[in-house]
Amino acid sequence: MSFVIPCPHCGNRSVYEFRFGGEVKQRPRPDASSAEWMEYTYTKVNESGVQKEWWYHRSGCRQWLQALRNTTTNEVMEAFFPE
Amino acid sequence: MADNSGKFTFEFDGQTVEARAGDTVASALYRAGRRIFTRSFKYHRPRGLLCMAGKCPNCLVNVDGAPNVRGCMTPARAGMQVRHQNAYPSLDNDWLSSVQHFDWLMPVGWYYKAMTHAWSWHAAEPYIRKVAGLGVAPEPGGGSKDYEHEWRNAEVAVIGGGPAGLQAALDLARGGAQVTLVDDQPELGGHLRYRKHSGAVLPQVIAQLRALQGVEIISQAYCFGLYEGNLLGVLQANPHPGAVERLIHLRAKRVVVATGAYEVPFAFENNDLPGIMLSTAVQRLIHLHGIKPGNRAAIVADGNQGDEVADDLRESGVSLVATMAPDDVISATGSAHVSAIRSKNGDFACDLVVICGPRVPDSGLLHQAGAKIAWDEERGAFLPLDLPVNVSAVGEVTGASLEPFSGPEIAHHKRSFVCFCNDVSTADLRGAIHEGFDHIETLKRYTTLTMGPCQGRMCQLSGIGVCARETGRQMGETGVTTARPPNPSVTLGALAGPRHHPTRLTPMHYAHVESGAVWMDMGEWKRPRYYTSGSCTSETQCVGEEYRAVRERAGLIDVSTLGKLDIKGRDAGKLLDKVYTNRFSDLKAGRVRYSVLCDEAGIILDDGTISRLAEDHYFITTTTGNLDFVQQWLEWWLVGTGWDVHITNLTGGRAAVNLAGPKAREVLATLTSCDLTSKAFPYMACREAQVAEVPALLLRIGFVGETGWEIHFPAEYGEHLWKRLLEAGQSAGIRPFGVEAQRLLRLEKRHVIVGVDTDALSGPYEAGMAWVAKLDKPDFIGRNALSRLAEAAPQQKLIGFIMSADAVPQDGAAILANGALAGRVTSVRYSPSQGKAVGLAWVAAASAGDGAEIEIRVNGGTARARIVPDAFYDPAGERLRM
Repeated sequence: MSFVIPCPHCGNRSVYEFRFGGEVKQRPRPDASSAEWMEYTYTKVNESGVQKEWWYHRSGCRQWLQALRNTTTNEVMEAFFPE
Repeated sequence: MADNSGKFTFEFDGQTVEARAGDTVASALYRAGRRIFTRSFKYHRPRGLLCMAGKCPNCLVNVDGAPNVRGCMTPARAGMQVRHQNAYPSLDNDWLSSVQHFDWLMPVGWYYKAMTHAWSWHAAEPYIRKVAGLGVAPEPGGGSKDYEHEWRNAEVAVIGGGPAGLQAALDLARGGAQVTLVDDQPELGGHLRYRKHSGAVLPQVIAQLRALQGVEIISQAYCFGLYEGNLLGVLQANPHPGAVERLIHLRAKRVVVATGAYEVPFAFENNDLPGIMLSTAVQRLIHLHGIKPGNRAAIVADGNQGDEVADDLRESGVSLVATMAPDDVISATGSAHVSAIRSKNGDFACDLVVICGPRVPDSGLLHQAGAKIAWDEERGAFLPLDLPVNVSAVGEVTGASLEPFSGPEIAHHKRSFVCFCNDVSTADLRGAIHEGFDHIETLKRYTTLTMGPCQGRMCQLSGIGVCARETGRQMGETGVTTARPPNPSVTLGALAGPRHHPTRLTPMHYAHVESGAVWMDMGEWKRPRYYTSGSCTSETQCVGEEYRAVRERAGLIDVSTLGKLDIKGRDAGKLLDKVYTNRFSDLKAGRVRYSVLCDEAGIILDDGTISRLAEDHYFITTTTGNLDFVQQWLEWWLVGTGWDVHITNLTGGRAAVNLAGPKAREVLATLTSCDLTSKAFPYMACREAQVAEVPALLLRIGFVGETGWEIHFPAEYGEHLWKRLLEAGQSAGIRPFGVEAQRLLRLEKRHVIVGVDTDALSGPYEAGMAWVAKLDKPDFIGRNALSRLAEAAPQQKLIGFIMSADAVPQDGAAILANGALAGRVTSVRYSPSQGKAVGLAWVAAASAGDGAEIEIRVNGGTARARIVPDAFYDPAGERLRM
């Protein structure tokens, strides 16, 4: 794994500067069913293709950002601060 | 040692060797008459120079303590200490060479067959390791020089400074590209440097290149890996006198591979004798180092290269005794050195056999990067195809200008070597194929072909040839083995990088030094484990004294390593309510509350105290090792909420101490005007006040179980306040105490340390902290999981136990119930207040009832213990409220 992430604050940086934060998922509402909570807590989609992920730029701006990454080629299409 | 004629000396096995400017270790030794450079891996056969290009294992030496250094690639330096490897007592007289007479005992894969019991391998392994092998790893900490890492970016990286690489770099740079050229030689030019038909083009091209803007040349640096995203691993030798090697992480938008082709030998009987050399090695000796390589030479050649090297040999004064085609070669003879070559046309006495072998494209980097490697029948070579995006190749690595080569009929002989690294012969390969290892990848794994230090460079082509012929397949069908980085091999020291270990010292560090602190590492921090000041001598004694000071008088501990976060803003309480399990929005200003932090699965991630300083202002402490994690966790849950919260890390900016003990109040009162009575300043309250003229935040909390204050204050006053507190407490009998005493004190109170007493499966219910999970909050991280766990019966429980007899188990000891494994101890210490060892342990719920008896492993036997529901010391918690 040695790709580049275009940090919206710092520019193109090696992935070694970042901490991976997992897939971007929608947290269920507090009153959602147990099945939904189990799905959210334990299941990963692990998309073969483009997925939206959390990354933390720990050796840079120390901000959480999201990136669109193709998991088969490790190409990062876009990185942005979430709204 | 260097004189003005450019000559200097270095040492080889204690002997002085003269070298000239431009010499490598190998060329200087060859000029001095050395012919045996190494002993082979398995049979200890003598081996001499073969490739002179860093592509074979035949000249590996120990240089200044570093093993397996390629002698032909290492510039000779005045005073360097070079030693031989893998021979005893010397290279010329190696007693272990008798091993080769027992080769019939050790065919390929013999250890799989001979070692039929586990014990037989354990018994044999030390001897095998001693006899077989390469260099010896240096002692840890040895060597005065360091390794470096460097990160670089390039628009285009050109790998290889031969004619193709130079031309590509020149064209690219003229087109305006920023070019980084990596070359493994001391001078640019590749094979043009030692092939005399180079003409005058070379100096011109190099001068033009150097004159261009945006061209960067890294010399004496080889590229060992082409990784994802065009990251190149480049190892540069001797970047400056203070460093042995520099590992350059070079990231390029585009990579141009111009690594050329290299010559390889072919197999015939005794083809490994010193004096049998590749033609390009001979040319390097003559043209780069001015060495006459021998007196009487035979040339084995198939094409033009034979004529070229014949001219070179004649000019350097070597007489040619014969020229023969590879097909005609039968064997070489000689014991320590070649003395004759036998061909179909007769025997020829000689001291040099020049092999004009096939040229192999050096396509390892392209293969690593994902290119296909396919057999090209016309050129008689494996060529790279389908290059990845942004990677291209130029020159001989693409197969350009390669002449097809027809090798000799392969004679299966046990001294006809294919792999020089691991002594694999054509007979070994045939045997392994007939045993069923007939795929090139299984053949590789079984025989170790291509798995030595040369990484298959010398043996890959002829190994595939043998495999193809024996199995009746084509070369293309047989295929190549997978190329993986690093190729060639890389020093472990270079990968590890500089000996640079950041250490964090607390603001009171030097005061602890004066008090005779014995240190322990906690992450990057140094913390006093205990202090040797006073009359104590052993750890047990010192910790005992520190313990008594806290329980009977007063003790002071440096807790500056705690993570400290300042949380400010209108929505600060909302964030803490969401992330921590306890409730903080209703916490009154001036009060402190403990909480754990859980993930969505209800697992405890961290714990700490949270103080409310004002309506919109909180102060959090985290465990020493989890600060970064907690800060990132809080910030993560803040993303996208739009909440008004600001998180500031105060860890380095604040010192902190905990003053505790029955006399803590009387000591602290001398330094502050703050009302410290329990009425004005009760347990779990916080106040901002001046202590010894220093603005401080005081938290009345009781980790160690006595009346006490955790005092947070600006780090620059760390030593001042530490010393003032100790002075103020002198008459009360105060003592500084370390982490070991603190751990014992808190254990008597059954206070949990997250990460010591809990692990990645521990939740608040199992850990006996149900009260900390406020399930009546509408939402918080982990609420859903915890509300389910609250109703389920836990499988394990964290319990406190007291030993029934004097035994003291160790941390981690197994717990037995009815003879079966039922849990493990997480913390255990001898408790002075109980007169027995007490501890915390995870025990299967069925065996974890209050008052139940358990057995704990101690000293190979077992000892009985009883489960205790409450704190061992002051279960009612009266002392810390006094």
